[in-house]
Amino acid sequence: MDRRSFLLTPPALAISAAGLPSNLLAAPAAIHSHTTLLPRRGTGPRIVVAGGGWGGMTAARFLRQHIPEADVVLLERNPTFWSGPMSNKWLIDIVNTDFVNRDMLSPANRYGYTLINTTVNGIEREKKLVLTTHGTIDYDYLILSGGIRDAYEAWFGNDKYAAEYTRRHFPNAYIPNAEMFALKRKFRDFKGGTVVMTLPPPPHRCPPSPYERACLIAWHFKTNNIPGKIIILDPKPKIAPIGEGYRAAFQELYPDIITHVPNAGVKEVDPFNKRIKTAAGDFDFDHAILMPPHQAADIVWYAGLIGKRPDGKPTGWADIHPRFFTARDDDDVYVVGDSMGTISDQFGHYPKSAHVAHAIGKIVAKNIAERVAGKEVVPVLPDNLCYMMVNADPQEEISVVFEYEVDSTGRVLQTQIDMDVRSPDLVAKDFAWIKSRFDDFL
Amino acid sequence: MTFSDMPAKRFKTRRRLLEATALGVGIALATPALRAQQTPAHLRRADPAEIQAIVDAFLGGTQPVTEGLKLDMPVLGDNPASVPVKAVLEVPISRDVYCKELILIAEGNPRPLACRFEFTSLAGTTEVAVRMRLIETQSVQALARMSDGRVLAARRHITVTAGGCGM
Amino acid sequence: MSTPRIWISSDTPQAGDTVRVRVLVEHRMESGMRVGPDGATIARNIISRFECKFDDDLLFVWQPETAISQNPYLEFTFVARQSGELNMRWMDDAGAVIEGKKTLTVSG
Repeated sequence: MDRRSFLLTPPALAISAAGLPSNLLAAPAAIHSHTTLLPRRGTGPRIVVAGGGWGGMTAARFLRQHIPEADVVLLERNPTFWSGPMSNKWLIDIVNTDFVNRDMLSPANRYGYTLINTTVNGIEREKKLVLTTHGTIDYDYLILSGGIRDAYEAWFGNDKYAAEYTRRHFPNAYIPNAEMFALKRKFRDFKGGTVVMTLPPPPHRCPPSPYERACLIAWHFKTNNIPGKIIILDPKPKIAPIGEGYRAAFQELYPDIITHVPNAGVKEVDPFNKRIKTAAGDFDFDHAILMPPHQAADIVWYAGLIGKRPDGKPTGWADIHPRFFTARDDDDVYVVGDSMGTISDQFGHYPKSAHVAHAIGKIVAKNIAERVAGKEVVPVLPDNLCYMMVNADPQEEISVVFEYEVDSTGRVLQTQIDMDVRSPDLVAKDFAWIKSRFDDFL
Repeated sequence: MTFSDMPAKRFKTRRRLLEATALGVGIALATPALRAQQTPAHLRRADPAEIQAIVDAFLGGTQPVTEGLKLDMPVLGDNPASVPVKAVLEVPISRDVYCKELILIAEGNPRPLACRFEFTSLAGTTEVAVRMRLIETQSVQALARMSDGRVLAARRHITVTAGGCGM
Repeated sequence: MSTPRIWISSDTPQAGDTVRVRVLVEHRMESGMRVGPDGATIARNIISRFECKFDDDLLFVWQPETAISQNPYLEFTFVARQSGELNMRWMDDAGAVIEGKKTLTVSG
């Protein structure tokens, strides 16, 4: 018996197969990473979507809708879906866990795509193969919608122990969902002291959200008479976006709690002694939400699709066609959502928001359908909008809208409109917005 | 024949198709409801004579005073579509001595007169703030005519870059 | 049309207090300088007049021009003198009108 068949056949059966009753179910074959995860089905294109977040789940749903014969497979390492939007409200119990944490099996069944709970650990584009911890899967088209990774190496180099210590003790909960409960629990149990929050340098996931988080945690302190202070260490020269709206909220609602420190790029982090050095000074803390720089998810690196700067160093983000979102080096691979790189020299990246990921997921599904049908591929622009709650009693929100158009040279141009007078009517709009999006893919 | 059996040259056609479509795109394809407010590149800042004419019309021969009016603006505007500009009167005001008229001028815009305020003695206003869309780095002027005839002036420079969110 | 967003520093000020108001309405503020896909210039339609009254008495008029951003924002201070209503009215080039108000209870 050769080694291969030995591995595939459980020892018990191999030894005593002849003696087993025929009505006994065969024990499952051992699975390892070189087995095929899923054989092909049907004659339509096989489209693998790596990453089941706002972008990936939307793409999977609309791929099935536009290409009924397609074999669409969604790979997701988390067993359930976790929404970044609304998660700050969840931290202070304005919405409950059922609102932000959702089942993924029902939408997969409803929309007819295959969902596999597995982790991608390699991509071999020349073979059009995705490698996962449970087996390999081949594709005709691949969508990388894996979001972001936390680049702790920027702070700790190769010291993975320090990075993991920092993640465990001072989680930032920007990547579903390992840190969410730890973060919430920490603030529920917080009795007082100084909290520092480090913001990543742009571009990063959901630019206005750290300020919203500061507002809502400050509201929690204020309402529950917890003697806490929040120091926002911001590498940017000022609060952005919706700077005026946040500035007014900090000054008028939380003057004794929130301090915004601009130009405070992180220089050194000592999680063990709870000290941080920045370009704007050194800070000791009792607790912290430490956000390291963000980069495209690991899977983009595995695929070899990270862009390069003029000096040859990686940009950290996927190098993509700005109108079609295909990888520059491989137009059978699409990148959807936060992992996307530069779109325009006027504004850089699309804001890394769930709204954009959802919009691009829909656009890419349509574009792939056009390609499969041999039709002209029509480039479509996304839009973006973000609602941010700055006060929880009364509930008041601010918002920002981004619009895009193309100039005569094909360059994408952005207009940003801040809605920074906080008001209660934006709360209803916020919930209506997320309901309409969730109805699209959950 | 399954999809994966299709000859490789079909994908090359796709690549050319993508590129051709990309080059052919020269007009906005955003959904009709969403059209951004971009001022076309061919529109340039107004010439200095036009700005001087606006200023002279406001001054009406009065010599402006460069104290008593403050312009509050960021030095760096990260969103050219919405730059906060605040004008603050620092002289004492009353029902009898108050600001009657105030204008803001965006010197670098194609239409430099940004807005005009006309106050009554009832208002008691000492501060106004607006948001301007500025097409390029430029100076902003504020001119305030008081009820006693004085004209107060302030001027500040702002550097404008796009993409505060994603650069 | 849009409902104005109105924020006020206090709706129960003392007489003589300075009150701060921030208002925002949603409006395209079409500048008249943009060109559509057919090459024709898109007609200008901006909010060009804003009136602020206290009850029936005019406090001030604001006349925005094309340099004022989309979704025009305005912040101003005024002196509270007696109880009544702060009445605000926005008018655009096409004749559309948006109204908003805030009731003040002034003591002292």
